[in-house]
Amino acid sequence: MTATEASAPKAASKTEGDQGEEEEEDDYLSMAIIEPAKSYQKETYTQRRIRKQHEAESKNPKSKAQLATEAAAAQAQSLSTAIPQTSKGFKMLSKFGFIPGDSLGAKNNPHARMEPIELDMKIDRGGIGMDSEKKRKFKDAVEEETKRAKLGESDFRERVSREREVERLERLVVGAMKVAERMDEDERLESDRGTAGVAAELAPVVEESEGLVPEPAASAKIMAMPTKNINVLWRGLARQRLEKERDRRMRHDLMQSLSRNSNYIDDEADSGKAALETAEEEVEEDDPELEEFNALEPDQRLQKLVAFLREKFHYCFWCKYQYEDANMEGCPGITEEDHD
Amino acid sequence: MAQKRTFQDYEADDDPKKKSKTGEIIREDKQQERDPKRNPYLAHMYNSEDEEDGGVGLNGFASNGQAFNNTYHSYTRGKSLDSFTRHRTTSAQASKAEDGPENPFTGNPLSEKYFGILKTRRNLPVHVQRDEFLKLYQETQILVFVGETGSGKTTQIPQFVLYDDLPQNRGKLVACTQPRRVAAMSVAQRVADEMDVTLGEEVGYNIRFDNKTSSQTILSYMTDGMLLREAMNDHDLKRYSTIILDEAHERTLATDLLMGLLKEVALRRPDLKIIIMSATLDAQKFQTYFALEEDKQAPLLAVPGRTHPVEIFYTEKAERDYLEAALHTVLQIHATEPEGDILLFLTGEEEIEDACRKINLEVDEMIREADAGPMKVYSLYGTLPPHQQQKIFEPAPPPSRPGGRPGRKCIVSTNIAETSLTIDGIVYVVDPGFSKQKVYNPRARVESLLVSPISKASAQQRAGRAGRTKPGKCFRLYTEEAFRKELIPQTYPEILRSNLASTALELKKLGIDNLVRFDFMDPPAPETLMRALEELNYLACLDDDGELTVLGRLASEFPLDPALAVMLISSPEFYCSNEMLSLTALLSVPQIFVRPNNNRKRADEMKALFAHQDGDQLTMLNVYHAFKSPEAQANPKQWCHDHFLSLRALQSADNVRTQLKRIMETNEIQLMSTPFEDKKYYENIRKALVAGFFMQVAKRDGTGKTYLTVKEEQSVLLHPSTVLASDAEWVLYNEFVLTSKNYIRTVTVVKAEWLLDIAPTYYNIDDFKKGDVKTALIRADERIRRKKALKGSR
Repeated sequence: MTATEASAPKAASKTEGDQGEEEEEDDYLSMAIIEPAKSYQKETYTQRRIRKQHEAESKNPKSKAQLATEAAAAQAQSLSTAIPQTSKGFKMLSKFGFIPGDSLGAKNNPHARMEPIELDMKIDRGGIGMDSEKKRKFKDAVEEETKRAKLGESDFRERVSREREVERLERLVVGAMKVAERMDEDERLESDRGTAGVAAELAPVVEESEGLVPEPAASAKIMAMPTKNINVLWRGLARQRLEKERDRRMRHDLMQSLSRNSNYIDDEADSGKAALETAEEEVEEDDPELEEFNALEPDQRLQKLVAFLREKFHYCFWCKYQYEDANMEGCPGITEEDHD
Repeated sequence: MAQKRTFQDYEADDDPKKKSKTGEIIREDKQQERDPKRNPYLAHMYNSEDEEDGGVGLNGFASNGQAFNNTYHSYTRGKSLDSFTRHRTTSAQASKAEDGPENPFTGNPLSEKYFGILKTRRNLPVHVQRDEFLKLYQETQILVFVGETGSGKTTQIPQFVLYDDLPQNRGKLVACTQPRRVAAMSVAQRVADEMDVTLGEEVGYNIRFDNKTSSQTILSYMTDGMLLREAMNDHDLKRYSTIILDEAHERTLATDLLMGLLKEVALRRPDLKIIIMSATLDAQKFQTYFALEEDKQAPLLAVPGRTHPVEIFYTEKAERDYLEAALHTVLQIHATEPEGDILLFLTGEEEIEDACRKINLEVDEMIREADAGPMKVYSLYGTLPPHQQQKIFEPAPPPSRPGGRPGRKCIVSTNIAETSLTIDGIVYVVDPGFSKQKVYNPRARVESLLVSPISKASAQQRAGRAGRTKPGKCFRLYTEEAFRKELIPQTYPEILRSNLASTALELKKLGIDNLVRFDFMDPPAPETLMRALEELNYLACLDDDGELTVLGRLASEFPLDPALAVMLISSPEFYCSNEMLSLTALLSVPQIFVRPNNNRKRADEMKALFAHQDGDQLTMLNVYHAFKSPEAQANPKQWCHDHFLSLRALQSADNVRTQLKRIMETNEIQLMSTPFEDKKYYENIRKALVAGFFMQVAKRDGTGKTYLTVKEEQSVLLHPSTVLASDAEWVLYNEFVLTSKNYIRTVTVVKAEWLLDIAPTYYNIDDFKKGDVKTALIRADERIRRKKALKGSR
């Protein structure tokens, strides 16, 4: 109830005198009975008017354009919202055997419409083809408005908790990647021991550098391998390392060039050169496969990793345990919830 | 696109003025020219589903009390058909019988006129394929026939059927449906002439308010809505031996329902023959739909029409302002193109009148400054009075001086010139690509006419109009790419663009139990049916299980929107059924107020004479009562002219009223009035309005000018034409107009108490969202309680 509304019956009383009076009287009564907002009751009319005025002034008055956009957005909203399943019409249709997602008419009629025809309002005299561009822009604006309104509505806490969840999942993804990489390496080493010859044939350069650098064999090998050979599930890790390494090298080179001692030969620097070159090439290069994988939501990436670990190594990421066989007896299930 | 002409022009052999365009144009009958209703040019005038008349589809009036006469005809018949075996005849046999000398159907000697027409008929494209047609007709139950405009299908095919189906021997009829009333009338007249019989005897028509058939009738042209009404009382359509659905490509609501229905009837009645006739070549869809067995499509017969090639031109880029571009193109054609008339398609009355004015101004200047030829500009739209529509057939003006450049005419029209009527002499078509189309959205419960892009099929139809008499040109005011990418292939059938409340009620009455599984050719969105069922339930026409109630059964007897029917049926409760009868009639016809552009002020002053402060409906009723007064009836034409009213609309309302009254009487609904002196006279009428239109109510939003529709909460404004000052809290509206602003048109002031009292289910306060509307309803509810309590304590 606003102050101005209260005056509406007065206007009406011009035409129907007695009715108007009655309404005003009722007004007061009804407020007392129904409206639980007790503060309203004790205000006098003047007080309320002043308060309302203050309230109105404190708010920024909306511009015409703003109002129009809001109305358009409201209309677009109602046109894009399907009739709820709680509606009487839906219930009646259900009694005829209709289930949501179904269409009317004979089964498998390719012409059946699922959604009502869109109301496309033409607001100017743009010719065919001219409009579509504008309309798209307008639609975008309306969508934006709707989205914004929604965002404003949604609770701040909810949003924060959503962001936290994403962060948590990202951390889990990195963890799972590390596990996968390690297990993969272990397996590779295992098989290397058995078939060293084959490995030598495959990567002679690596063998050389291995001989020179007494570093952990596996990581050097991975560094030297073109990252595209690495399973995309944890390729991101290797790539990150490469980037890090390149940055380190660059810093190192810079330092060197500033204080180069021609007598001093940095074994380490030379030995890593081959790897570095590949790394540099790699880092520059695009990797659509990896990009695609990284574009997935964190929970999807995690799911893929978990599934991979189970399949390949019978390892459950949630139990943190490597089972004997594919049955993985004792593991409650594939999802995190299963392990709660 | 336009097909090269392959047949000899059948009009050439006769007097050039005597053009018989297969029932579309009949000029020889002077009688017809004088009576506008009989005039085939005016097909659109009497069609309630015209694009601009917001009237309720009354197409197909109730066939109550109409006896289904199944007795054998007892009149004398010719002997020439005696040797015919049903479904075994050939075109040679038929031709022989047609050659006389006695009329095969009446036994009377055939007239000279008959033989004159026969000659023309045998030159029609369909005639060449008569044997082919007969073979397919005899072999199959359902046949799809495609004949382009000018092929002669509408007049000839039913006659071909008569000679083979011989309905007269079995006491049956052949029905041929038409989407438009006037088409049914004029074609029936033409075919009666062709068969040398009296209209209403062997050949008749049956349309809303006008049944011109008798027990002798063997061929009945009827509106699709009329046949649908008949099916409500006779689910198997037993009186017919063959049913022809003509102009099926127009996909009217009634035709679509009939198709679904006939598919079922065909299974129950193997003896029934069905022919689907269409003018467009997308017959595949019909063939598939009518495949009674799987993978066995209905057979197709196609007959080419007579058209000339049409050259199509596109613009290079999209137009910023299609109206400006259209005017520019018209003037360009006039300045540079050789002789030939111009047809420009625009969307509505206002736009058309505006364009005509502008073209006239420009042409005057062209004549003065560039020695251009004279050009006569005509407007054409559904609400135009008949004598003005007639003008478009006047010949183009002669050169302004001997030897000067030839004159031409330019017709600026809505899409009624696209299919419903044919104007000869058009060589240039200008197509901006828009038309006004009805749309309905069940989510917002909004039904409105919107300017929308046309379909590819429509664009082709428009282009074809340029090739009626000689090769023509079509100027499309959009790019070829836009044509390909932006236009939908086919115009959406009416069933997808309509509120289905009436349809759902009709289907129920047609004996369709499960509305969800009814085999629509194009099934509408489920939400549309949901809304329809819900509305019918609130109107108490269907119960919660979706079954017809007594009220629903009664409402379906009226060829009205369910809301109007319910309003009429419940009006005795408010002691005003006479008045509601008048009002229903007034709401079912086109706009009764005339407001010419050059005299708006005077028109408004005249309207103010009738104005009632509480609403437009009451104002309309005042007009009607004044119209029926002896003073006005002394010279109705003059009276209407003086008061800026449409005589045609008022007379039409009068006619509708008579028909509705008959249905009221048949169903024993009491006719009564509150005495005019009673102060409740108008209040009762307003309450009776609520009984039908409680779902079309809006409440004022705060103190501003805007209103909110009660449940869907759409923001609307009162239409500027209203007599109301915008300070009423609750209004009931007849129509939602969707433009850049949303308007509600034809409004009446109501009270919240009435809403709660008359439609308690819909106005169940608990169902409302928290807000202004709910608060106001709660307050009204309190008022009612208090009043009751007061009364009780007394």
